Amino acid sequence: MLQNIAIGQYVPGQSFLHRADPRSKLLFIVLFATLVFLGNNTITHSILIGFTLFTILLSRLSFTYILKSLKPVWFLILFTVILHIFMTKGGTVYYQWGSFTIEEQGVRQAIFISIRLGLLILFSSLLTLTTSPMDLTEGLERLLRPFGRIGVPVHEIALMMSIALRFIPTLMEETDKIIKAQTARGADFTSGNLVRRAKNLIPIAIPLFISAFRRAEELALAMEARGYRGGVGRTRLNKLQFTWRDVAIAVVAAALTFVIWWWRT
Amino acid sequence: MQITFDQVSHMYGKGTPFERLALQNISLTIPSGAFVGIIGQTGSGKSTLIQHLNGLLTPTSGKITIGDVVITPSQRIPHARRKDIGLVFQYPEHQLFEETVAKDVCFGPLNFELPPNMAEARAREALEIVGLDYETMKDRSPFQLSGGQMRRVAIAGVLAMQPKVLVLDEPTAGLDPAGRKAILEGIHRIHREQKLTTLLVTHSMEEAARYADLMLVMAGGELVMQGRPEEVFQQAELLRTLSLDVPETVSFISRINQSLPDKESLPTTLYREEELIAHLLERLSAPKEC
Repeated sequence: MLQNIAIGQYVPGQSFLHRADPRSKLLFIVLFATLVFLGNNTITHSILIGFTLFTILLSRLSFTYILKSLKPVWFLILFTVILHIFMTKGGTVYYQWGSFTIEEQGVRQAIFISIRLGLLILFSSLLTLTTSPMDLTEGLERLLRPFGRIGVPVHEIALMMSIALRFIPTLMEETDKIIKAQTARGADFTSGNLVRRAKNLIPIAIPLFISAFRRAEELALAMEARGYRGGVGRTRLNKLQFTWRDVAIAVVAAALTFVIWWWRT
Repeated sequence: MQITFDQVSHMYGKGTPFERLALQNISLTIPSGAFVGIIGQTGSGKSTLIQHLNGLLTPTSGKITIGDVVITPSQRIPHARRKDIGLVFQYPEHQLFEETVAKDVCFGPLNFELPPNMAEARAREALEIVGLDYETMKDRSPFQLSGGQMRRVAIAGVLAMQPKVLVLDEPTAGLDPAGRKAILEGIHRIHREQKLTTLLVTHSMEEAARYADLMLVMAGGELVMQGRPEEVFQQAELLRTLSLDVPETVSFISRINQSLPDKESLPTTLYREEELIAHLLERLSAPKEC
């Protein structure tokens, strides 16, 4: 039932993207997000779309599988498209019905915004699809380390994130199991009005909370039993190392920034 | 109810990189009233197999017939017929959610639109089957019980639907020996009394040997053996290659037989502990002929 969600699911592999340093990937995504919003005409958007397609090819993951990550957000995209089509005014009037008008600027903005959102989602799911949660949080911890000096609990944040990421699949599996168990007892989650449906979630929510608390407690015990006492003095088994791949990513980043800057109006 | 599987296959995560064939061309027939032991290693497809029985999973290809209900990739089981197949999952106590034991056990019957007073009668009966006293248990919170009691309450929650087919996925995992025996004896009793068709998934050859009159051995998503327990236990070599073993009684018999002359050897059908003990006592107390 819940096995079709692609977002956040790491697919192991040996591609260029899989082997690049998570820090470069994280930094690149920040830059990419900025560039997506800097782009403001057909040329820049085409370049960004082309670049995203190229990156997807580079990841050697199936294209349709990556597209599935858009599934949870298509509603959001549709919503913004509709808002823009009806609300943004300017340019030629394409269609008029009473006080409703659809104008050139609205359509233009709607297309651009949906492209931007789509690209952002695709790109960030590429990150989680090609980076194991462990690498991702370590990359984040290293990047945020300077903030530790001004009292930000960087290690704790990174640990919380890795635990959260680690338990997403576990809790999904658990939810799936509980849904099945209650369905076998005749619970029906698909019919009835909204109040009834919300009420029907209780047999899932309560067991799920209880198991989450139990897991948390067990995890805390297991960590303490193995000598965990926070990030101080903790060493790493695999140290992150920048390689030629990261140099390549930096060069591409600089080139892409330059191109977008050049073509934007 | 008779259960037949005809060339059933199931694939998880079809169309994703995590695609995995969990069941492969399973064909089997379980006669009505049989007590079936399903054994196999972790990941051999046991749990996937039993989830097909009440439509929680639908086959990717093939056909399942349960009584007069037919399940195919395009044909789902009607909601009302689900109550005929009681499915007890692994660690069923993880599905408890109500404030009181009585309410939790009534959850199933009420879902199938039984009037409350009848549901309560069913709950009383079901709790008694698993060896819990209704009056002392009914108002307690299920979360204050011991692990073994929680397990029994959860099993009672399925029994209260009065299914015609009872499917249990390792109902004794993680319990102490006394708890194991009590639960299995209770299940075996209602199996006989209510003429249920029972499927017991287990890791323990001893449990399977004691109760089953038909065994299914699964490995790698395939059904590798099916037959009466003594037939299955005779293929000790094959079982070992599947990282399974024969019950201790069977290996005991074959070791004794090694040092006995052929005509005095113990019959291998004595795989049930009590029968073996009775047979041995009889042999030992019988006066020697020479």
